[in-house]
Amino acid sequence: MTDITGTPVLEEKRTAKPSLWQRIAQNPVVLKELRGRMRGGRAFILLTIYLILASAVVALVFLGFYASSTNNVYSSANVRQALGKTVFFSVAGMELLMICFIAPALTAGAISSERERQTYDLLRTTLLSARSLVFGKLISSLSFLWLLLFAAVPLLSLAYLFGGIAIEEVFIALLILFVSSIFFSAVGIFYSSFMRRTLAPTVLAYATAIIIVFGIPILILMTLGLFSNAFAYPNTPYNRVLELVMFAGGWLLITVNPLGTGLVTELVLMNNQSIFYTNISLPNGGNFLVISPWMPFTVFYLVFSVILVVLSVHFVRRVEQ
Amino acid sequence: MSAIIEIKELTKYYGSRKAVANLDLTVEEGEIFGFVGPNGAGKTSTIRIMATLLQSSKGDILVAGNSVRTNPRGVRSAIGYMPDYFGVYNDMLVWEYLDFFAACYKIPPSARSGLINDLLELVDLGHRKDDPVEGLSRGMKQRLSIARTLIHDPQVLILDEPASGLDPRARVEIRGLMVQLSEMGKTIFFSTHILADVAEICNSVGIIEAGELVASGSLEELQKVLVPQQEIQLTLLSKGEEAEALLKAMPGVSEVQVLNGNNAEGRVRLTFGFSGDDSAISGILAALVGAGIPVLHFNSDTRDMEEVFMRATKGLVS
Repeated sequence: MTDITGTPVLEEKRTAKPSLWQRIAQNPVVLKELRGRMRGGRAFILLTIYLILASAVVALVFLGFYASSTNNVYSSANVRQALGKTVFFSVAGMELLMICFIAPALTAGAISSERERQTYDLLRTTLLSARSLVFGKLISSLSFLWLLLFAAVPLLSLAYLFGGIAIEEVFIALLILFVSSIFFSAVGIFYSSFMRRTLAPTVLAYATAIIIVFGIPILILMTLGLFSNAFAYPNTPYNRVLELVMFAGGWLLITVNPLGTGLVTELVLMNNQSIFYTNISLPNGGNFLVISPWMPFTVFYLVFSVILVVLSVHFVRRVEQ
Repeated sequence: MSAIIEIKELTKYYGSRKAVANLDLTVEEGEIFGFVGPNGAGKTSTIRIMATLLQSSKGDILVAGNSVRTNPRGVRSAIGYMPDYFGVYNDMLVWEYLDFFAACYKIPPSARSGLINDLLELVDLGHRKDDPVEGLSRGMKQRLSIARTLIHDPQVLILDEPASGLDPRARVEIRGLMVQLSEMGKTIFFSTHILADVAEICNSVGIIEAGELVASGSLEELQKVLVPQQEIQLTLLSKGEEAEALLKAMPGVSEVQVLNGNNAEGRVRLTFGFSGDDSAISGILAALVGAGIPVLHFNSDTRDMEEVFMRATKGLVS
């Protein structure tokens, strides 16, 4: 190829844009974090302890059923199915607790620890972008969390030995767990991105997880308890509006709580045999078609996660004034 | 040589406190520039602005033509920055440390291994390649840090107190490394309290106090301006009076004093002040010898960096 004067010019080599996987694999922070995390015995000890605890929970559930069942647990299909469900939800519940308590530990110090170690300035003067730094920290934390989740899948599969679990339930449970892991990791990184020390982001990340996972259900139950009398009174316009508001508010709160989402989705599936929607009839009248909470839960948590990550990138990108 | 660092009307406020006040400075390509000042003078603030870690309140810095305000990424690719602390990653080996930063500078994996080996050889850490970083001595960590700043072959090295806290041997090693890097074509801008290092290796010096640049230029220029007169001591075997008369008649000579007159051995010790350059001093010696005066010792008090610094600064703190 020649230019306008006839002088030969070198053709630029067209390089393809790297794929998402290549960008992840080439992110220096991901490689560094994973190397450090998997070095030595720490990761394997943690994984072993986690699996021992999960196995102990399954063993306790089985022993409980075995001790309380009048017949041989294998001879009754109902008992087996109930056992399968209990094993499944116990392991899933344990994994959710694991995510709530390990995600903050992994991510709350992600950026603030770089400041404490005095390596943050070194990173910010390289060509590593704020986005690469934040994503690298997020992905390396999620990798370890997902390793723990996947390691417990064989325990979940034990539920199939006993029956009582549909494949949809497995997918939805795993989706809730993965989406929760992304969200709680993003929460930790968000706090870490604008605080200098690790202690404050850790406390805030744990507080956020506890409020969301446990505080919301407590709030729902307290509200139901306070307003339960309202539903006993005759059907009045005030009561109908109050009921509607409480129902909408309650449904919204359920869809931002992973425990509530899992339980209500299971109820919807059991009552309606559908994973997508259900009909709700309110005590004072009104019949509504509502979508199963796992769908809005997934959307809300992913959107919140994106917002938190974008804000984290903004804080990391900021130059000290 | 062209200017590779241009600091233009740089001002930095922390609240109402002015840390850097209208700083104007130019560093030529290939120079070793020493940035000297007392604690709190504004050295680190200036350096952090130059390294794109801190925003200036007013003014700008251009590094290799890139503005820290409008093109910080261009500045980062042109500089290697070493702060006055060594950030440690736990559980990282020496080669992994350099490999990580090479990746941060987007150096392809295929090129990293050779580059890391070469850099470790340059800073004399090749034998510690597979050792944990946290196990290195302070001097070794400084050398590793310098290797890190070179990983992407920058034009300018910005070093904040590179010899701080080092033992004498380590300081000499760092100095030698800086001279070697300058000979390789790097421009080195470093801040320090150690005036001996500045005198030893710097082409140019900038003295900052209370946020203001009080003196800048080559060491010889500063010496001429700030310490215009130096004291020269003379020991003669004899002919003290002739020497005294000859010296008094020479231009630039002042305050000729005979210290001890003729002692038992006939030796005479004289001092005089002189404001001239090295070739003029050499001319005085030649004139004395040419007049048949037996000169035994001829010493000039070096107008050392300490004297320059003390004359330039007032002991103010910003």
